[in-house]
Amino acid sequence: MHMANELLSIPVAAGTLAIAAGSLGFICRKVRQVIAAEKLALMGILGAFVFAAQMVNFQLPAMPGTSGHMVGAVLLAIILGPHLAAIVISSVVIVQCLIFQDGGLLALGCNIINIGLVPSYLGYFLYKTITNGRFSSLKVYIGAMLASVIAMEAGAILVAIQATMSGVLAVPLSTFLITMIGVHFLVGFVEGLVTVTVLAYLQQLRPDIVADSLPGTVRLSKNAVLATLGILAVITGAGLSLLASDLPDGLEWSYAERLDEPGFETVVSNPDSRITAVDDFQSKYSLMPDYSARASKLGDVADGQADLGAGWTSFAGIVGSALTMAVIWLTAWMLRRKQAL
Amino acid sequence: MHHAHIDKFAYQDSAIHRLDSRVKFLVVLVFTAVVISLPRSSLSILACYAIGPFAVLVWAGIPLKFVFKQILLVSPFVIVLALSCPLYDRTPVAVSFGPFSWQSSLGWLRCFVILGKFIVTMLALIGLVSTTRFSDLLAGLQKLGMPRLLTIQLGFLYRYIFVLIDRAHHILLARAGRKLRNLGFKTELKTAASMLGSLFIRSIDTAEHISIAMQARGFDGNWRTLSKLKVRRCDLFFVLTAAVFMSGLYFFVKPILQ
Repeated sequence: MHMANELLSIPVAAGTLAIAAGSLGFICRKVRQVIAAEKLALMGILGAFVFAAQMVNFQLPAMPGTSGHMVGAVLLAIILGPHLAAIVISSVVIVQCLIFQDGGLLALGCNIINIGLVPSYLGYFLYKTITNGRFSSLKVYIGAMLASVIAMEAGAILVAIQATMSGVLAVPLSTFLITMIGVHFLVGFVEGLVTVTVLAYLQQLRPDIVADSLPGTVRLSKNAVLATLGILAVITGAGLSLLASDLPDGLEWSYAERLDEPGFETVVSNPDSRITAVDDFQSKYSLMPDYSARASKLGDVADGQADLGAGWTSFAGIVGSALTMAVIWLTAWMLRRKQAL
Repeated sequence: MHHAHIDKFAYQDSAIHRLDSRVKFLVVLVFTAVVISLPRSSLSILACYAIGPFAVLVWAGIPLKFVFKQILLVSPFVIVLALSCPLYDRTPVAVSFGPFSWQSSLGWLRCFVILGKFIVTMLALIGLVSTTRFSDLLAGLQKLGMPRLLTIQLGFLYRYIFVLIDRAHHILLARAGRKLRNLGFKTELKTAASMLGSLFIRSIDTAEHISIAMQARGFDGNWRTLSKLKVRRCDLFFVLTAAVFMSGLYFFVKPILQ
């Protein structure tokens, strides 16, 4: 997910640019000392491979009409090692910015960190930790899967954190995080599956390429995939129910006490401490906890506006959730569109 | 093939195209930073800032249809996030525009400012990219301190990106010709993985051939180019104009519009 200029503030953009430039410079110096000249062409062409690979799409299960494609950071990290993969993916991000205008110039630092550096190193580290020791096909499967999902999520979480730190968007961090994590969970899962399948294919055809990273035969077992699908379903279900309980519905809003408006009478009040605790929890994590007219900076606010707010809150809950769904739908649509490029 | 033409305008010739790539890059970087640091609630000043890159694009002879198509192509993520602003920031504000005035919310204002900034900075970026050859840009960036390894990496990447995209097109075409329906996730995944795998193997083989050919011609890991970057008088003039434009708007026009 490419960060855009407009969602960043200058300090965040400058900070991330400095971090990205510093670490890329450091990695390049390190790599330069050990790399042979003939590897240079290989790295460049694998960067181009990432672009081409993103065009190869395939139907996703359970969602007719959508299709996925691979990102490739974890695959490259497993085959090339984290340093080279970081340079390759970062160069892909730079070209995406400078030729395809995907992501802005100031956001380049964020994008290099979120898409290039973090997934390469984190993915490699996770994969290596899990596949450490005696070789087994299952370990490779779990390693590549976890590496893909977690590396993808880490990048997505960083996007949300950077945007919130910049303070340009009004979206609360929790909502942003839930949306990003939800969308990228599926993306990471598909990425993991493709990574394992490509590794198995490469090993069959050209074992010399993956000799260092895969000392034994990789086989994608049906049971493992089914188990992953089960885990995925459970996590998705849990995530969805969490999201659902976060959304206040109109009825609950009319019960609730409104701290921001002392004059507001609750329709029903329940002194039970558990109920209050739940209410507190809900008001803390609801989508629009402080929906009320704050002091305006720009123009006059009529007094009636604030009273109107009371009637609008329950409506806001419904519209808010519908719009959140629209946001998710649009994000999926966008992902679909991107791979059609 | 449409990908091969994405930066075709960089190979045109105009006064803007002939400017030094370092100068253009730095001006666009500063311009972007200035636009991003503008207040979050003023739309009109953005329109003023849009004039600069617009003028550059028009002067360089870049078709505006291409520019806006390009902006539209990369906009979905920003549009989704910008549209979420009115949802969360409902502070009512009175907006007036000429003889009209109406009640709106700060969220909508923010949304439009984000979109406005997006369009203006994209105009500037497209202005840089479509008037500068990638090789010149790389040479400039290297002079500005980019690691040499990264320059070589980007150079190779740019050289082979269109070759491999073409190759991927062929593979996709072959699949489309054989696969006439949805085959179910398992088969789909397997097919895609075989396609990716064969693309990967072909990329590695290509890389091997290229590096053998380059070593035969004496490639030792360094790129030597004939191009000499030099800052000329017109480059200085461009920097001066840009600086006057940006600071003039910032210090004189912005206070009036607020």
